[in-house]
Amino acid sequence: MYKFKFPDIGEGITEGKILKWFVNSGDSVKEGDSLFLVETDKVNAEIPSPVGGIVVSTKAKEGEIIYVGNVVIEIETSENALKSTSSLNEPIDKKSKAIDEGETAGVVGELEVSSQIIAISKEEKPSLEDESSIKVLATPVARKLAKDLGIDIHKIKGTGPVGRIMKEDIYLANEEKLTVSPVSRPSSTASPSILIPELKFAGEVERVPLSMLRKTIAKNMVLSKSVIPHASATDEIDVSKLVAFRTQSKNMAIEQGVHLTYMPFIVKAVTLALKDFPMFNASYDDKSEELVLKKYYNIGIAVDTPDGLLVPIIKDSDKKGILPIAKELSILSEKAKDKTLTLDSLQNGTFTITNYGAIGATSGIPIIKHPEVAVLGVGKIAKKPVVVENDIVIRDILTITLCIDHRVIDGGDAGRFLARLKSYLDDPVLLVLS
Amino acid sequence: MPILNIIGAVNYALDQEMARDKTVVTYGEDVGLEGGVFRATVGLQKKYGADRCFDTPLSEAAIVGSAIGMAINGLKPVVEMQFDGFVLPALNQIIGHVARMRNRSRGTYTLPMVIRMPYGGGIRALEHHSESIESIFAHIPGLQVVIPSTPYDTKGLLLSAIRSPDPVIFLEPKRIYRAFKQEVPEEDYFIPIGKAKVLKEGSHITVVAWGAMIREVQKAIEEVEKDGITVELIDLRTIAPFDKEAILKSVKKTGRFLVVHEAFKSFGPGAELIATVNEGAFLHLEAPPTRLAGFDTTVPLPKGEDHFIIRPDRIAHKIREIVNF
Amino acid sequence: MLTEKFNSLNKEMFSVLDKDGMVINEELLPILEKDKLILLYKTMLHSRIADSKALQYQRQGRMLTYAPNHGEEAAQVGSIAATEERDWLVPAFREMGAWLYKGVPLEQIYLYWYGNELGSKFPPNVKMLPISVPIASQLNHATGLAMASKIKGEDHVTIAYVGDGGTSQGEFHEALNFASVFSSPVVFVILNNQFAISVARASQTRSETLAQKGIAYGMPNILVDGNDVLAMYAATKEAVDRARNGGGPTLIEAYTYRIGAHTTSDDPTLYRKDEEVEEWKKKDPITRMKKYLIDRDMWSQEEDFKETESYEAFVNDVFKKVEASGIVPLEDIFKYQYEKMTPNLVQQFEEYNEFLKEGGK
Repeated sequence: MYKFKFPDIGEGITEGKILKWFVNSGDSVKEGDSLFLVETDKVNAEIPSPVGGIVVSTKAKEGEIIYVGNVVIEIETSENALKSTSSLNEPIDKKSKAIDEGETAGVVGELEVSSQIIAISKEEKPSLEDESSIKVLATPVARKLAKDLGIDIHKIKGTGPVGRIMKEDIYLANEEKLTVSPVSRPSSTASPSILIPELKFAGEVERVPLSMLRKTIAKNMVLSKSVIPHASATDEIDVSKLVAFRTQSKNMAIEQGVHLTYMPFIVKAVTLALKDFPMFNASYDDKSEELVLKKYYNIGIAVDTPDGLLVPIIKDSDKKGILPIAKELSILSEKAKDKTLTLDSLQNGTFTITNYGAIGATSGIPIIKHPEVAVLGVGKIAKKPVVVENDIVIRDILTITLCIDHRVIDGGDAGRFLARLKSYLDDPVLLVLS
Repeated sequence: MPILNIIGAVNYALDQEMARDKTVVTYGEDVGLEGGVFRATVGLQKKYGADRCFDTPLSEAAIVGSAIGMAINGLKPVVEMQFDGFVLPALNQIIGHVARMRNRSRGTYTLPMVIRMPYGGGIRALEHHSESIESIFAHIPGLQVVIPSTPYDTKGLLLSAIRSPDPVIFLEPKRIYRAFKQEVPEEDYFIPIGKAKVLKEGSHITVVAWGAMIREVQKAIEEVEKDGITVELIDLRTIAPFDKEAILKSVKKTGRFLVVHEAFKSFGPGAELIATVNEGAFLHLEAPPTRLAGFDTTVPLPKGEDHFIIRPDRIAHKIREIVNF
Repeated sequence: MLTEKFNSLNKEMFSVLDKDGMVINEELLPILEKDKLILLYKTMLHSRIADSKALQYQRQGRMLTYAPNHGEEAAQVGSIAATEERDWLVPAFREMGAWLYKGVPLEQIYLYWYGNELGSKFPPNVKMLPISVPIASQLNHATGLAMASKIKGEDHVTIAYVGDGGTSQGEFHEALNFASVFSSPVVFVILNNQFAISVARASQTRSETLAQKGIAYGMPNILVDGNDVLAMYAATKEAVDRARNGGGPTLIEAYTYRIGAHTTSDDPTLYRKDEEVEEWKKKDPITRMKKYLIDRDMWSQEEDFKETESYEAFVNDVFKKVEASGIVPLEDIFKYQYEKMTPNLVQQFEEYNEFLKEGGK
């Protein structure tokens, strides 16, 4: 049996009104014969039968509204005619309302027509800008660079226009991962920008690009020297007892697998002196104008590597004996030279010792490592003639230089610190006992 | 070897093609007897007869529409629109039929035809004689749009256009029709449609331009080179379909992109190139890809034209701006 | 010359058969073989059948918007029959009878209205352009085809169709002007069915006839009874011969009537009276020709029934094939823009293909 559904006759209509039936139950129809006349809002159309056969029943009366997709007549077909009209006639929602009067059909094509009413339109009032989510400013190249280096671009401070993060900032951040600097910000006491004149040369030159480490060191040195007002105090210490003690202990240390130098003793002495004079183991917070005294003792030892200066840290030196310190020093030194130092070994120092004596200098004036407030420079130990109780004797003399951040430490303090240090270094027994 | 300017190269190419291929015909207003108001077709009617080179009534739609019929019926028409501004009446044919005939007939009817016209500004002329509407054509699927910048390229591209199985809009930068001459080889040579040319290599920035702007960009490059900026200059040559590969390769190298065109800025060809650069080379960008283009104003009459035409100093300034981003 | 005998300025209309199929102008009756006459008639009949069935299919929701030809069969078939296979046909969009006569397979015609470009891919020996939607623009193509024939030295003629509405388009003027200037071998046939959608002929132009517009171009022109297939044949034959012999273009106005709507989405009752339509139905082109043939024992009612039945069955089969043709393959949308796909097209096609492969998510 063929069930004929009222088709959408191409204008997107959804319903119509049957004006007149041309057939009744029992009538025989041929394919193409008009079945009924339907009124839509566009046209009145005679609907032809798609099949031939006998009309079984009509499903709507004259004057009744029929909907597209609903069966309006059943015809018993004489042969296997089409099963159904094509998929162009999917049943539509019966509840759809009548089409508005006055809608025009397009002459060609099919317009979607519906009485659906959409939400009211409102013109947007300008809204306040949401300040909370600020994106970082960076070019695609910079962003990719940060991503490739594994750096969170949000944590980098940009030095470009409008605070844009430049590639240089990212490279720096990458180096600082290895060299400890925390996030930096412009100092409130920093000097005003200086105009550096163009370099001029008078002959052949060779340009050597700086390595990343070198660039970082350069930046840090400039920072230290421009922010921290340096003052220094130098003294010569008679370390003959220390020398004798060390010579005595050297072999025993070797048996323990440790190469014993003077540095562990100096580290220990410095640590004890720092305990007595906490202001040397501190940082100056220029934003809050506070001197931040640290209750932990991480002594950095400057190490000369082929690439440049690195400062590995002996953490919690107050809790370690001389031999353990010596051992740790060896290891760190090796790692520094191998470039296998971890970030952890380079961060969070509280005081730095630099040993230019190791390369033969008698004395020097070191640079404080920001944000520390003092640095100790250690020269070489040399035999010198000194006056002891009006006699000239030969003693082992060590020249040390202390540089201080004069914003928070004065010469008097420096002198006192040096004296204490001297007293510790004078007698190694005191170091071992403390 | 002949030394010709651009208009000479057009004439030369047409002459050689018409000698070689009897199906090539050329016509338009004043094209036949006079040889075209710019003398592009001078001498051709005498040589090949009024059947193959002739004048038409003043009817751009009929000129292009009849070319469609001719192309379907076995000829290769090269028709002339007297000025870019006068192609407008023919747009019904160009957009409605020229671009579509192959697709509409599923390949049954194809149009090996060329529509030539003088294009672009800077010649101190009346309204509609200085238009740069390459975008309008480039936007339509089915058209090819070609703009040479030198006499050598003119012949190479015109030969490719005439022998192309698909329609070509051939825009000739009239400002430099006679501005300089160049060696144009006698033998057949083809510059493929869709291939740009790197005129100069550089590493700081990629600059794309075409037509009369090439010369202006070259002058700007001389300026910025004094500051140590090296520019990679690409002559696009075909606007549609354009050489995406060449542009992306260059931008990946330099990280910076500038397109310079006479056409109006908004919705212009530069926008398309920049979209392509963003899609294909985003991670390589050191600065925003930029266009330096004609203002979004009607092309001014001669007394205001100097403001509109892009001069080398503006180009140099823009290059510096981008390089220093 | 018919064009001289019938002066369009005086509204003189050429016809040879009246509405009842009686010969009213014996000496101008074209002499045609029986086979040709039967072919003329059958083609009109086929056109009528295919046309009505298309309407039915549309009302059944099986066909998209369709432009019916009812009433214009003689104008279409009579004119095209005067051309040869080597001649070009440039259609507007309502010349079913002419297309069938030219040899366009019905399947192709239906495919077009069904919404598939393959409907415009004609067999190689069928020299017809695809349907032209921008009104009257095809006339310039016709002029071009004709100009090329002339340049190549071929004796091919182009016949082009346009409606009464199309004569107001600028391109109508440009094409006729061009064709006259170049003496192109083209015949322009205006199928004046009295309406451009709802705009009546009188509102289209102040010219009293459309044929007389030819005078402005120096073009021979003639006003013909468009429902008289023999008059249409005779007038077109003269024009075709003129063109073929280097005499240039002719303008023919076929005065007919659009019995049906503009398209299936149009309601003519809004702009014209039923009485007018009924009057014109009495002038049906097929009825009068049928009578003419039967009167001369060249045709019979039984043959008519048989022909109708068999062609209806044929049309049904054709349409079933069309319905089974499915949607346009994706590649076809991309590969006919140029001879070879451009890089952009390749990229867009591949991207979309990928999307579809992933289930269109």
